[in-house]
Amino acid sequence: MTPAISIRNLKKSYEDTVALRGVDLTIGDGEFFGLLGPNGAGKTTTINILTGLVRKNEGEIEVFGRDTVSDYRFTRSQVGISAQEFTQDWFFPLDRLLYFQAGYYGIPRAKAKDRIEELLNRLGLVEKRKARLRQLSGGMKRRFQIAKALVHDPNIIILDEPTAGVDVELRHELWDYFRNLHKKGKTILLTTHYIEEAEMLCDKVAIIDKGRVIKEGTPKELTSQLGKAGITINVSDPGEELESCLKDFTYTQDDGRLHFTTQDPEEALPEIINALTRQGCHVQRVETTKSSLEDVFLSLTGKGINE
Amino acid sequence: MNWVGLWTLTSREVGRFFAVYRQTIIPGFISSILYILIFGFTLERRISTIDGIPYTMFIIPGLIMMNTLTNASSNTSSSMLQMKLLGQLPDLLQAPLSSFEISMAYIIGGTIRGTVNGLLILLVGITLGGISVMQPFATVGFIILVSVAFSSIGFLLGQLADTWDQLATLQNFLLTPLSFLGGIFYSIKMLPDWAQAASFYNPIYYMINGLRFTILGVSDSPPMTSFIVALIMTVGFFLAAVLMMESGKKIKQ
Repeated sequence: MTPAISIRNLKKSYEDTVALRGVDLTIGDGEFFGLLGPNGAGKTTTINILTGLVRKNEGEIEVFGRDTVSDYRFTRSQVGISAQEFTQDWFFPLDRLLYFQAGYYGIPRAKAKDRIEELLNRLGLVEKRKARLRQLSGGMKRRFQIAKALVHDPNIIILDEPTAGVDVELRHELWDYFRNLHKKGKTILLTTHYIEEAEMLCDKVAIIDKGRVIKEGTPKELTSQLGKAGITINVSDPGEELESCLKDFTYTQDDGRLHFTTQDPEEALPEIINALTRQGCHVQRVETTKSSLEDVFLSLTGKGINE
Repeated sequence: MNWVGLWTLTSREVGRFFAVYRQTIIPGFISSILYILIFGFTLERRISTIDGIPYTMFIIPGLIMMNTLTNASSNTSSSMLQMKLLGQLPDLLQAPLSSFEISMAYIIGGTIRGTVNGLLILLVGITLGGISVMQPFATVGFIILVSVAFSSIGFLLGQLADTWDQLATLQNFLLTPLSFLGGIFYSIKMLPDWAQAASFYNPIYYMINGLRFTILGVSDSPPMTSFIVALIMTVGFFLAAVLMMESGKKIKQ
């Protein structure tokens, strides 16, 4: 099946900085894909080259198998982008701006009407339809930004920090909305500073750092490959035979506490407790720690996502 | 060709200046009436006629031209810079619109504003100055031609500028002086030789005199020369503005 987005060896340098050093990425049709990386890693540059805002130096980007430069009319019609930065406008009300946006994508007013009404309804913008952008709160502006991205019913939706600066309630509302879009078969490319957002929503994530994709996989694959999940058990009377009965496990011991390192604590825990019980140890307390995508991100990039 | 896109962006450009008509249409109208009242009626006592034309009538083609070219150029230049500064440009650049379609929409928008303003002053001239237009079709055609030229110039400047200050500098130190020195209020025959010679290098001189010929039948420059200069400017600046957009310089990184 032709992937929704295929990026090969994408390179871009600005005057004094190298932004992309050869990005390779394939996003399948219908995938919810997260692109994570610290500030300046190259996420926005990659997206901007894909959408035509920035010119690449080298490499190729295809949307549904068609080149984003030579076949830009097709590829751009397939993509809707909700940018991180809010657009401003001094002259026109929200609904008119949505009609303009539809028009740029070749959709005449009469055809766009139903779609725009639906979006105004779904995103809670009906009452603000005659308002100017400057009169809206941050949350409302974010809703408008998303409506604008969806007005031409694109197959690929790029959400660049879609929940930045919105309150918890709206964040949950937007997550539900994104999940619905995904269920309808839309391909979604998400960049976010909230790693738990990517962990919760995405089928697959790629971590990008210093202009390269350094790791790619499902959130579960990444946490199990690179995570540091562990179990800590407090036992009484460990006894001298302990070492032989726990020989199948990786652990350290200090002052009656056993620290196990495992990829899958849920599976390992019953086996460890059985082994300890057979040895006659009395298990007093059990703690499990499961690694998150954030730990993986930290271990790969050496810094937090906000750094 | 994305015709719906072109139509949408053009109607946005036109809607934008009509939405703020107090800034874009009324000022030229009022200032032209004032020029006619103050300069025309007071100076007419001293300069009764030029080339046999009453002074008030003589200045009207110049006022039309000044209004036309100022409005045509400022529509495109301010709209483009505004789009850049307000972060609206990505909406256009990410849409399936070619750079030619974007350029055309802007230039048509500026041309409409220049033409509307020019025709409005022509109406003022007919009602207040009592002029009768000798070649109405040529007059309208010339106003449109000059509007395209200056709309293209504005579009080029809007792409190049990064701040409002830069645009204002070009307007105040280039367009306005060249308009005034192009012979709005005088015939260059009234100037010393060196100033007459200098006027030949001012393209706005040909614009004003070309229009003056279509309206009043008098002109300092041969009508065909005026037309050719206007045509060369229109084609030249149109191509420069479109090619600049195509190159993406100052627009795309």
